[in-house]
Amino acid sequence: MSVEQKRKLITCTNIDKSFKVPEGIHQVVSDFSLEARENEFICLFGPGQCGKTTLINLIAGFELPDQGSILVAGKPVTSPGPERGVVFQNISLFPWLTVMGNVEYGLKMAGVPKKERQERAQKYIDLVGLQGFEHAYPVKLSGGMRQRVGIARAYCIEPKVMLMDEPFGALDAQTRYLMQEELQRIWQTEKRTVIFVTNNIEEAIYLADRIIVLSNCPATVKKEYVIGLPRPRQYTSPEFLALRKEIQQ
Amino acid sequence: MMIKFLKKYKYLLISLASVAVVLLVWYLLIDVMKMTKSSVFPGLEKTFRTFIAKLTQKKPDGATLGQHLLESLKVCLLGYSIGAVLGIPLGIAMAWNKWCDWLIRPVFDLIRPVPGLAWTPMFILIFGIGIEAKAMVIFVNSFVACIVNTYTGIRQTDELHLWVGDVFGASSWQKLTKIAIPTALPMIFTGLRTALGGSWMALVAAEMLAASKGLGFMIQQARYISRPDLVIVGMLMIGIVGLVLDIILQKIETMVAKGMNAQ
Amino acid sequence: MNKKQKNITELICAVVSILTFLILWHIGVKGELGRLMPGPLPVIRMFFATLFGGTIGSRTMIIHILYSLIRVMAGYFLGAAVGVVLGLSMGWSRLVEAVFSPLFRIIRPIPPIAWIPISIIWIGLGEDAKIFLIFLASFCYVTLNAWSGAKNVDPDYLRAARMLGAGKRQLLFTIVLPASIPSIFAGLQVALSSCWATVLAAEMVRSSEGLGWIIIAGMNNNDMVQIMTGILAIGLVGMLLSMIFRKVEARLCQWNKSGS
Repeated sequence: MSVEQKRKLITCTNIDKSFKVPEGIHQVVSDFSLEARENEFICLFGPGQCGKTTLINLIAGFELPDQGSILVAGKPVTSPGPERGVVFQNISLFPWLTVMGNVEYGLKMAGVPKKERQERAQKYIDLVGLQGFEHAYPVKLSGGMRQRVGIARAYCIEPKVMLMDEPFGALDAQTRYLMQEELQRIWQTEKRTVIFVTNNIEEAIYLADRIIVLSNCPATVKKEYVIGLPRPRQYTSPEFLALRKEIQQ
Repeated sequence: MMIKFLKKYKYLLISLASVAVVLLVWYLLIDVMKMTKSSVFPGLEKTFRTFIAKLTQKKPDGATLGQHLLESLKVCLLGYSIGAVLGIPLGIAMAWNKWCDWLIRPVFDLIRPVPGLAWTPMFILIFGIGIEAKAMVIFVNSFVACIVNTYTGIRQTDELHLWVGDVFGASSWQKLTKIAIPTALPMIFTGLRTALGGSWMALVAAEMLAASKGLGFMIQQARYISRPDLVIVGMLMIGIVGLVLDIILQKIETMVAKGMNAQ
Repeated sequence: MNKKQKNITELICAVVSILTFLILWHIGVKGELGRLMPGPLPVIRMFFATLFGGTIGSRTMIIHILYSLIRVMAGYFLGAAVGVVLGLSMGWSRLVEAVFSPLFRIIRPIPPIAWIPISIIWIGLGEDAKIFLIFLASFCYVTLNAWSGAKNVDPDYLRAARMLGAGKRQLLFTIVLPASIPSIFAGLQVALSSCWATVLAAEMVRSSEGLGWIIIAGMNNNDMVQIMTGILAIGLVGMLLSMIFRKVEARLCQWNKSGS
């Protein structure tokens, strides 16, 4: 079955969003449309502060659009919901809970019995490669390990869609490469529809099925690239470099 | 229009209503329905009249409200400023010089856990019930609070900032005055504010035990002759003065902080 | 200096410092001052003599200490419980905040000690009045800190929890409450020392037992040794209370410490 034939999971149509600021009204998203199919990995790539995070917040349901509609799995988005997991740039783990406590939090809120939710949480802790750290508090973990917990926590509520807002933005370059590989491995084991925001072109080409290039403020779709390179991709292969050159122009 | 106004000021209106309801219930229960004797719980109206009358009357405790207030403020500020003037430098010295720290802190740690007002009986025996005993109690209170906070504040100085000082060849004195003290300033001011609050409280206690003037004396006297209206007037006065003193210190803090930044 | 040497020097300094203090005190009261002040020895002797055996008033020292401690604990925990509930609700709900904050702002600046006369008029001279005062001391600090703790919860935690499906009630109990704990503990610590001072004041004004009574009775009998013995006990118990507090805090706020 080709990608086109799979069903659409996210449909954003003609979204506008602006904020009130002291100087007046600041438009951050303008006429943005997007369709994402099941298990598709989409990167939103764009420069600096141009409303990428706002897009994630809109799809996640933290904010509502001024204009246009957002449908996830056929239902309009009005508030955060368990079919959409979010991985935050600043991670936002709960510091008073252990790794296990953080990962099982969503299931606990949903009233899943203790034994079952711990088994499921363990599965995702293993998936992100943190076995042995179940009882550590976030403060004891490195930045990369914390973001692994962040990914496991979002995965654990078993959402249909994963929204990732520059999840590796705060990591150093070395850890960032490692986490890109890790995310690809995790995604290939547990396929989900992913919307991944980044301002790093290599990261986008390495991970994405499709890259959507956004214009600077207000954010709107400038161009779209389907990345057909076989996985795992090589950062230095000629095809990779050619794509990079093309997109950067 | 009306609805928009209500919406905008909804919570302010609820706050006002909340205070109004409490006052109204007070008025209805005591003034109108006479639920309790006025020697137990005074009416709203009576309390207000007492406040106005006490501004000029010396009865029943020999001084007007203003005179009591001045007496309390005088003692409090005297003991407080001496404590602060001695406490802050000592705190800085203990935090900056390890020998000072090692030699003075053990004794200081012995004295610190004793609440300031526990010294009252001792000072009264030594100095009598005049201004000295009370001022000493306030002094101990403010001295201890100032040392503790200054010490912690200076100790929090980022080592990196001190290294930067080293790199630029700053002397120990320059590092202290240009790096450590500015860093510690917020903590020092926290100390000054805690000390002032504690001093004010200790003063009220000391005045209730032994005094012939002052707000603490006034409410204690009013209690002896069963005048709860006067007690409540005194309590509110104590509260308001404490609040005003704290606000004044906050203002000074922002001014000093600005001055430091401007340099 | 390496670490071990440093610790030893520090210890020696502490011993020297305290010994010097005691010797100065001992010599200082030899002369004229001696008529006013006792030396360290009679105080220490009296403290140990009355601890379990002899009596001050009609009770041993340990019983006096227990009286004061029980009063403090009753008021402290009551005030803390009410303060946490009220403070968190004020931080969480703007409605609760609007209703209670003006009243709280009126009551808070009045030091608990200033409530002594009115509480005697209202409640009388018994234990209730003392516990009420200590309740006030603890309540004000804890409410204030729980309130600001709940108001300043990092909004990112709330977003993350909502994303994971937490409802409004769940947010309050699983996010706002734990996120406010460091702030609540800071309030509990100030409250504890404030309660300790308040119980002494209450006992000094009106009581027939407890550490506050010991020092005020010492004053009335012109017995400086008794006053200083009382102060010694007050200091020791105060120190013990804050030590226990720090241990409990370290246990409960483990996640908040970044050290090893």
